[in-house]
Amino acid sequence: MSTLLDILTTAAILYSVCAGLLLVFGVMKIINFAHGGFLTVGGYSALLVTHLGLHPWWAPAFAFVIGAVCGMAIERLVVRPLYSRPLDAILATWGLGIIIGQVITLAFGREVQFVKSPVTGALDLPGGASYSEYRLLLVAVAVALGLTLAAVLEGTRLGLVTRAVIMNENLARALGINSGLVRFATFSLGAGLASLAGSLITPLSSVDPNMGVPWLVNAFMLVMVSGVSLVSLAIACVVLGGAQVLVSQWGNPILGGLTIVVLAAFVLRLRPQGFSRG
Amino acid sequence: MADPVASVLPSPVASAPRKRSDLKRLGIFAAIALVVIAIGPYVLPMYMVNGLIRAFLYAAVALTVDVLWGYTGILTFGQSAFFGIGAYAAGLMFTHVGFSTGYAAIALVAGVGVAMLVAGLVGWLAFYHGASPLYGSVVTLVLPIVVTQILFSGGNFTGSSSGLSGFESFDVSIEAWFWIAGGFLVALTSAAWLFVRSDAGRILVAIRENEQRCEYVGINVSRVKIVLMVVCAAIAAIAGYAFAGVQMVVAPEYAGFVFGTELLIWVALGGRGTLIGPVIGTLVLDVSTSYLSGNLPFVWKLVIGVAFVVVIVALPQGLTPLVTRTARRLFGRREADAPDAPVTFEHSAAAPYAGLEGAGQQALAVEGVRKHFGSLAVLQGIDFTANRGELLSLVGPNGAGKTTLMRCVADGNERSGGTVRINDHDIGRKPPYTCVGFGVGRKFQTANVFETLTVAEALRIARTRMARPSLWSRDGTLPLPEASLQVIRATGLDLQIGTEARHLSHGMKQALELAMVLALEPSVLLLDEPTAGLTKPERTMIGGILVNLAQKHRLCILLVEHDLDFVREISSRVIVLHQGRLVLDGTVAEVVESELVRTIYSGAAHGAPS
Repeated sequence: MSTLLDILTTAAILYSVCAGLLLVFGVMKIINFAHGGFLTVGGYSALLVTHLGLHPWWAPAFAFVIGAVCGMAIERLVVRPLYSRPLDAILATWGLGIIIGQVITLAFGREVQFVKSPVTGALDLPGGASYSEYRLLLVAVAVALGLTLAAVLEGTRLGLVTRAVIMNENLARALGINSGLVRFATFSLGAGLASLAGSLITPLSSVDPNMGVPWLVNAFMLVMVSGVSLVSLAIACVVLGGAQVLVSQWGNPILGGLTIVVLAAFVLRLRPQGFSRG
Repeated sequence: MADPVASVLPSPVASAPRKRSDLKRLGIFAAIALVVIAIGPYVLPMYMVNGLIRAFLYAAVALTVDVLWGYTGILTFGQSAFFGIGAYAAGLMFTHVGFSTGYAAIALVAGVGVAMLVAGLVGWLAFYHGASPLYGSVVTLVLPIVVTQILFSGGNFTGSSSGLSGFESFDVSIEAWFWIAGGFLVALTSAAWLFVRSDAGRILVAIRENEQRCEYVGINVSRVKIVLMVVCAAIAAIAGYAFAGVQMVVAPEYAGFVFGTELLIWVALGGRGTLIGPVIGTLVLDVSTSYLSGNLPFVWKLVIGVAFVVVIVALPQGLTPLVTRTARRLFGRREADAPDAPVTFEHSAAAPYAGLEGAGQQALAVEGVRKHFGSLAVLQGIDFTANRGELLSLVGPNGAGKTTLMRCVADGNERSGGTVRINDHDIGRKPPYTCVGFGVGRKFQTANVFETLTVAEALRIARTRMARPSLWSRDGTLPLPEASLQVIRATGLDLQIGTEARHLSHGMKQALELAMVLALEPSVLLLDEPTAGLTKPERTMIGGILVNLAQKHRLCILLVEHDLDFVREISSRVIVLHQGRLVLDGTVAEVVESELVRTIYSGAAHGAPS
């Protein structure tokens, strides 16, 4: 039972962490390696909320706004000139990640710090065991996040325009869609979501200036195997996240940490379209 | 195919002297560098000598990153892993077995061997036929992560997170290490310089510029990349081995992903695709980091990060071109070297495909070829054959499947069903470069050339299958078959052999691609709208050349064309495709008279039951 919950909550956490990266990759066809930096920004936003003495519930909203604002600035200054050079965009955003990490180090110091969790209790399971309520809460958050994104993409005019840009940017532009604006909005939203996810994962562990990097690589691989679909991302998170939990439990934690990257690399080798329908 | 009398075209560029002066320049540079390295330990402070030894070895790895990324376009995060493998080979051997000259040699061989094996595996994974460049980068990103995790989980054997230290190592003074590492770097840089400027080295740039065109001139791109990866891994492993020997410490970070990106930062700042830039970039940045990170611990890394982002966004070529340009302006020197290799063309001896000549078999046989994208059928059961000497035109409205049919003939992976035989060879599921070996040459609809290669270089790339290019020098002559020379002369390309393809006009690019395809000495020539966008006189000229190729050189030519007048003038036979089916196969007269063709083209047949 608790293994099953581990798989479910791990998948939910991965999904929250990946959603912003997937959105940016889908619309802009670039990999945002500053994603790890934005996760860190979110973590420190949560820390700020704790320092200011506000209720931890403020952390996600606060993190989202700060992340989105950073995203806006970065899209204008760095990402926009690199639309036609996707491999260079990976490098430039990785450089941005370094900058974010160093600025945070200068502002907050490099030591590990802790953030208050909004929910601290544990839920009693039927078998007598108990399970962290916060982790369970994250499942609900991930589902809500997925549904909201789907609703925005399927139900609003912005979503329609965004989907048009995903499918055929040149045609969309020819039809009078301001694809630059769509990219701008997407990148800001992606950064905001990453930051939000960063604030969600901090109560589980701790914050430090490089906390985003390990997440980045896993998120990157999950997005690679998902194509550009939110549904296949969910499948990938459950399958590969589940594999990670099982390997960590029955094998060893170090191998578990490798599960997602190695499996994803082989999945892509054997089936280049990954988990999305060919 | 060609007459054996060598007729040498006059070359617009002076030939041999420039080549010798290149070598002389390299010799002077290497000599100066060696002198500086020889006196270095006597004049530099000890701390700096130590730092430079490390930086020399890092620079050797950065050099491999530049060859892979700057020249070939493979963005790699993984060279650090090979460095780490080499370092751990020394560390593990000296810690657990002990030190002796014999053990040291075994460790070196083992380290390099393991690195090469791993590189082969990574290459197989990353560079399969049709892999996206992004996927290749993904795999090189996974590699260092896997290697460090393995090192972490090695317990006492690998020293886990703290690594191994305090092992016995070579009894060599610091000065000697400085000379060894410096000499290694100079030798490596010189060799790399010769290689990337050689005829074989141009293939790397061709792959970076246009992988598809490379495959269609018969180059097995995957294999080239894998071999390159393996060689670069071996070099990185040697550098890592030396590093462990001199520092007497190894740690998982040296195999890690962060070190891998650091290498990319050095290369990018120094100037990708310049060799000397990455070397200088590494030396300057690594040494200044070891000085400055003490005083300004976090600010320095921030400065590097900012500089890196600025360079990637605003100066993708890095700082070296900026420095050399400024220096030239200051000293009033002209641009030093023209990028072109001086080349004279000559007739090649005919190189017919082994076993294909003279038996009089079918040049091209297409049987029941089908192609569908999901539920959309683009081609449905196409059957036809063509012989040598035929000029067969494929006509039909847009979306009839003409280009798709071309694709199915030139690449075994394209069709969904049916058989294609080139010169009686079933192409099966074989990739384009194998089909080229059966005798297919394909010219694309839009000019598909290598933008930054000169005309002469591009033509030599097209001859790679016939003449193995040199790994260290440039050949002054380029043998080409008569048909190719004819196109070059008729279009005036011979006056522009030193011009980069991106500076050519649209018509000239088309001519260049045609000349490249003919340089393959194909027996089945596939041309997709070769005259699209050309002027009337250019069309007439191309038409004349095609007729000549079919009649005199006995090529089987398959031509996709919209201009029915042009088709009527040059074709010996016409095939009409409509909605994925072959609806008519006959002489020019039969097709032109046909009521069916008229209906198809006037659009009346659309929507008719098919």
